[in-house]
Amino acid sequence: MSLASTASVKAPPSLLARLFARQELALLVCLILVIVFFSVTAENFFSMRNMTNVLGQASLALTAGIGCAIVFISGEVDISIGSLLATIALPLIIIMNDTNSLLLGVSGALLFGLIIGAVNGYLTAYAGINSLIVTLGTMFIMRGGVYLYTGQRAIPDDASLDSFIALSDGRLFNIIPYSAVIAIVLLAAFAYMMRHRPFGRQIYAVGGNPEVARLAGYDVRRVKFICFIISSLLATVAGIILAARVGSAQHTAGLNFEFQVVAATVLGGVSLAGGIGSLSGMALGVLILQFLSNGLRGLGLPTEWQLVITGMIIIAAVAFDEAKRRRAIGG
Amino acid sequence: MSVDFLHPGEGAAIDTNVPALELRGIDKRFPGVVALDNVDFTLEPGKIHALMGENGAGKSTLIKIMAGVYGKDAGTIRMCGREVDIKSPRDSLKEGIKVVFQEIALISEFTVAENIFLEGYPTGKGGSIDWKKIRADSAALFDRIGFNVDPAARTGSLPVSQQQMVEIARALAHEARVVVMDEPTSSLTPNEVSLLFTVIRRLAALGIAVVYVSHKLDEVFEIADMVTVLRDGRHISTKPIGEHTNDTLIHDMIGRRIDNLFPRKRGEPGSKVALFVEKLSTARKLNDVSFEARAGEVLGFFGLMGAGRTELAKAIVGYDPITSGMIVVDGSRLVPHDTRTGVKLGIGLLTEDRKSEGLMGELPVYQNASLASLGAFARMGFIDKAKEHRAVQDYVDRFRIKTPSLFQQVKNLSGGNQQKVLISRWLMRGLKVIVVDEPTRGIDVGAKSEIFALIDRLAGEGLAVVMMTSEMPELLGLSDRVAVMCEGRLTAIMSREEATQEKILNAAIG
Ligand SMILES: Nc1ncnc2c1ncn2[C@@H]1O[C@H](COP(=O)(O)OP(=O)(O)OP(=O)(O)O)[C@@H](O)[C@H]1O
Ligand SMILES: [Mg+2]
Repeated sequence: MSLASTASVKAPPSLLARLFARQELALLVCLILVIVFFSVTAENFFSMRNMTNVLGQASLALTAGIGCAIVFISGEVDISIGSLLATIALPLIIIMNDTNSLLLGVSGALLFGLIIGAVNGYLTAYAGINSLIVTLGTMFIMRGGVYLYTGQRAIPDDASLDSFIALSDGRLFNIIPYSAVIAIVLLAAFAYMMRHRPFGRQIYAVGGNPEVARLAGYDVRRVKFICFIISSLLATVAGIILAARVGSAQHTAGLNFEFQVVAATVLGGVSLAGGIGSLSGMALGVLILQFLSNGLRGLGLPTEWQLVITGMIIIAAVAFDEAKRRRAIGG
Repeated sequence: MSVDFLHPGEGAAIDTNVPALELRGIDKRFPGVVALDNVDFTLEPGKIHALMGENGAGKSTLIKIMAGVYGKDAGTIRMCGREVDIKSPRDSLKEGIKVVFQEIALISEFTVAENIFLEGYPTGKGGSIDWKKIRADSAALFDRIGFNVDPAARTGSLPVSQQQMVEIARALAHEARVVVMDEPTSSLTPNEVSLLFTVIRRLAALGIAVVYVSHKLDEVFEIADMVTVLRDGRHISTKPIGEHTNDTLIHDMIGRRIDNLFPRKRGEPGSKVALFVEKLSTARKLNDVSFEARAGEVLGFFGLMGAGRTELAKAIVGYDPITSGMIVVDGSRLVPHDTRTGVKLGIGLLTEDRKSEGLMGELPVYQNASLASLGAFARMGFIDKAKEHRAVQDYVDRFRIKTPSLFQQVKNLSGGNQQKVLISRWLMRGLKVIVVDEPTRGIDVGAKSEIFALIDRLAGEGLAVVMMTSEMPELLGLSDRVAVMCEGRLTAIMSREEATQEKILNAAIG
């Protein structure tokens, strides 16, 4: 036996290499770099006010991103969430205007979201239609429906309930926006589910290898169905916060929102192929993009450039990831 | 009424008078194939029952019906005398039927421990997963079996043999009444096989009925109490193993006799060196390996698990990078880590892992077979389909590949028949050197003898055959020279006359 040669070959990877092997750590380093960069270059970037503002802005994508990531992990996609944001604002605002009750309005919105999730889930999991097609379809149908119903005019929130308005500008301890608190609580709860509850692991298994999951006795279709419902419900929560922020039901609400969320989720290392990724990765992806766009705006760069830079970062991140994975398999 | 391997004695005792599982009149048809035709199969508790038959005989199909993977077209299933309706894997698992499938069925992103408890996670207070228990129990399980697998490893990063061990451990992690193993030893070493046999005997002693599928007759004679033989989807015989001899069993399986597994028709190898390897080392395993293979020669490589045979195979055909050394094929130097020049120079590899490295399940048989030799069928940039089909049909006939047509998707063929398709692919190419890694893994005796005859013929036609094998009879029966590896090094090369089982094993231990 030649111990010398095997020892030199199997030397443990360096600390840095090991850190970067954990996707989340690499993302965290990126996030810190982004924040440091703009703190140095952009005025008024590194202030408590701006930081918490960004957090508040990120809360919509964080909330909906949970659902987006869960559906990705189950091996499907859901791009109907942007239109859902606009759609559920209708029952929300209309019921609140009629009843003066936040509870009833929110219940109505959630029920609506549940139905949309069930439709997406049924058509994908049970009818076997490709989820990209299904949710592309429901995305158009909902957006069209909202345009038709509102006649392209906003429906204002006449009830002006304090509790509803607090969703948009209230802050916990006068520091953290309530919307961010909601996002963080949901994120923690679902991250726990994905890691420590049997159902969370079933989602990973179903996305990782549906045939193996079936052999292990899982009801693959049911798992996927529920993932779509989770996604729609979380998008509904995001939609409620958005409606509170704009104080009305807008037909253009959440336009292109699904792509922001998908971009952040992919950046966060959640694989479209299913079975790979984490909610913390997704959250870091959302924060990186949000701070980036905030910082670029601080530098006075026009929105057009933000789009270009975001696009390049996503491709670079996924390419980096892919290269790393290939090295892990091939080497 | 089921037993837990890890905590025996906790469940209720098993009634040994009623059959554990009774299948009656099972029919199963696939488009163009009658996979099972009125098959009866009865399992007694505490008995080890071997299920034998050629590739495509219907063994895996019968098992998949028990496992709820396929529905049956006709027939009844009884568990302990009670008729049951098994509609999905879930139903089957609930009845206590645990299956180790022929093809590895694990989630590659999960850890070994998590895969073992995939079927049902132990949960603690409030229904959250008890990861501590999962880790501890899987370590305890491996301990009890004697397998050496790291429960914390990412499953996909393990070699096939260890994944197979994980599969086996998984079948034992929950309470069971029937444990089914479909070719569980296809990539285990003799030592691991004997550990597995100890486990199987222990299961039987606990009153569990065990089904054991294998193409290795010696294994079956060693472990089985009963043998059931299927042929072409029909039940041929069920007997206690004591009533069988090697010959009667083979006869039942293939309906004819095989007189000589290793007929040698070729002459002595020539003197021309077809493959020359000097001081080859790789980052992970190989250390200073030098040898040559001559045209018309079968050079057999033997080694225990982890000796580096597969690594060597991959390096010399240009799949994997090397750190130093030289590979010369037919007088031209091969560029390491470049399969294209390898193919051009005329060296090809037949892999042991047909699923991930060879076959494309969704594509039909003929495309899988002709993939590496499309150039031969091209005419002005178009594929001459008729010619392609004729060539493939020729191989289908020669190897008796069991498929309803050339257009069947390869994933629907039985495991052994998939292997034959892969072999056809490389033979069709016209090579100077062929490297075969475990060529008969999962292949039935009938087809084995054909593959041996074929290897003999290839060498006779002037190819150099480099054969990696862990099957001693195959090694001794086919090789002109035997090379032995240990820990990435070459420890011995001997001629056919010098080679004895003892010398080889000694060299393999290092
Ligand atoms: N899903 C399927 N679709 C179509 N045909 C199938 C399918 N599964 C199996 N078959 C066919 O049924 C027959 C029996 O296959 P089976 O896998 O049961 O054989 P086996 O006895 O396990 O063989 P092996 O020893 O090669 O594993 C074969 O002819 C096979 O091609
Ligand atoms: Mg089989």
